[in-house]
Amino acid sequence: MNQLADSVLGLSDEAICAETRDVGADPEQEAERTRLVLRQASKILGDANERVANLGHTISLNDWVRGKRSYYNHCLDCGSFVSFTTAAGELEGDALERLCPASNRHQIRRQEVSRE
Amino acid sequence: MAHFLPFIDTRPSSGPPAPPPEAQPEPSFPLTKSINACPKSALLVENDSSLLHILRRSLTDEGYAVRTAANSEEGLRLYRDCAPFNVVLIDYFVPQTNEIEIDHLAELQTNGTALAMAIRKIDPSQEMIIAALDFRNAGEVPRPRELIHIPLLIEIFKLRSLLEKIEVDRAIKALTPAELLRLRQFADFRVRGLGRAARGRTGEDLLGEALLRTLIGAEAAQKGRHWNKNVDFVLHLTGAMQSISSYWKRQFDAAVQRKETEAYLTPALPIHDAEGQEHSPLDNLVSGDAAADQRLIEKDEEDRVLTIFKDDPKAIEVLHGLLDGLKKNEIKSKYGFDEKQYAAAVKRIRVTLLDRRNSGGRDEKHDR
Repeated sequence: MNQLADSVLGLSDEAICAETRDVGADPEQEAERTRLVLRQASKILGDANERVANLGHTISLNDWVRGKRSYYNHCLDCGSFVSFTTAAGELEGDALERLCPASNRHQIRRQEVSRE
Repeated sequence: MAHFLPFIDTRPSSGPPAPPPEAQPEPSFPLTKSINACPKSALLVENDSSLLHILRRSLTDEGYAVRTAANSEEGLRLYRDCAPFNVVLIDYFVPQTNEIEIDHLAELQTNGTALAMAIRKIDPSQEMIIAALDFRNAGEVPRPRELIHIPLLIEIFKLRSLLEKIEVDRAIKALTPAELLRLRQFADFRVRGLGRAARGRTGEDLLGEALLRTLIGAEAAQKGRHWNKNVDFVLHLTGAMQSISSYWKRQFDAAVQRKETEAYLTPALPIHDAEGQEHSPLDNLVSGDAAADQRLIEKDEEDRVLTIFKDDPKAIEVLHGLLDGLKKNEIKSKYGFDEKQYAAAVKRIRVTLLDRRNSGGRDEKHDR
C-alpha cells in the first residue's frame, strides 16, 4: 500500500485528474474538499490560540502536546488547560471558561491606552 | 486571515540568558533588500527605533523585504502606496499624530488596532500580526539592547510561529487541484496500508495531523515537523504523513504487545458464565506471540484487498509483488510485465481502491 501511495506522487497532473474522473468524482470538488481539510486544521489551531489569548491567558504557541486524539496546552500564568480534538475540531478546557487571574495588568494597560 | 493578538508574552521563559547590554556591540544592520527582488514582503510599523531595527533584521533574515514606518499615518500611507504585503506587523501601541480616516476610531483601543482596521478596510484579506511588544511592565520588558541575539528575539515574540502560519496558509491557498488530489490519495493509501493499526482514522485525519504538526513544529522541530521552505510544500506534507503513519503503526504494535503481556500475567482463575460453564481467562488470549498476531492482522488486510481483485490476475500479481516488498523492476521481471502492462495494473488497483473509498467501502465490506 505504501508503494501505491508513492506511485501517486509520480502521476502527471492530467493523469491524477483523469483517475479521479474515472471513479465518477469531480476533480475540482475533490481537490477543494482536501483544501478544506487543510484549512480546517490550520483554523482550529488558530482559534484555540486566539480564544485563550482573548481571555488573557498566555500559552506558548509551540508547546501544544499531542495526546491520543487531542492536543493539549496550558496557561503559563494560571495553569488552566485547553485542548482541541483533531477530528471534530472541538475546543475544551477551563482556560476557555474564565479570564486568567493574571490578566489584570493587561486590562489596566488597555484602559490606560484608551484614555491617551 | 488576520491575526489579532491582544498581547504576546514577552518574558524570556527559556533560552540563553541575555548578555549585559554593555558587552554587546551595536549590530550593523544589512540594507533592506529591494521589495522587487524578494519573494516575500512585509510592512513593519514600530515607533521604537532600536526595536524597529531588530525586527526589521529578523524579518529580513526570514527572507522578507521590509518597509518600515514609525507611526500609524506613515504606515497607512506606505500601505496605500506599496500594498499588498505578505504580512503587516504592527506594534499594538504605535503612536499616531492625526486621526486615521476610519469611521469608528473612538471604539478602538489602540492606534495599532486603528491602523489594522484601516488596512483591513482597504484589503480584508491582508495578513496582519498585531503584537503588544511592550505589554509587560517596564521591569519585565526585554529592552532592545538585550535582544540583539535575533533567534532569542524571535523566540520571545513568537513571531516565527505566526509567520509560519501565514506562510502555511498561503501555501495551502496556492495548491493546485492536482497537488491536492495527490495529497488526498497519498493519505488514503497510507492509512489503508495501516489496516487495523489505523484505528478508525481516515486519510483526512492523516492530512490534518500532518498540517497541525507542521504548524506546531514552527519553532521546535522535535515537537512537530518544521517545514523547510527549500522543500516543496506537497513533498513536505507527504514526508510528514509518512512519518506520522509509521508512528501510528509502531504505537499499535506496541499496544498489541502490551495487551498480550498483561493477559499473560493475569492469574488463570476460572470464570463461570451464566450457564455455569467454567472458562479460563487465558481462553481470551489472542496469541502468545505478538509478532505472529500482527502478521495475522496484516494477512487479514492483505486477503481483503486481494479478494477485491480476484478477477484481475495481473493486478493480483502486482499486489503480491508489492506485498512482498518488491520494487517495480523486480515485479516486472518476476511476472514478465512490460512497462505498459505494469502501469496499467497499478492504475487499475489505484482506481478500484479509490472507487471503494468513494462508495464508502460498501462493496468491500460485502466482499469480506
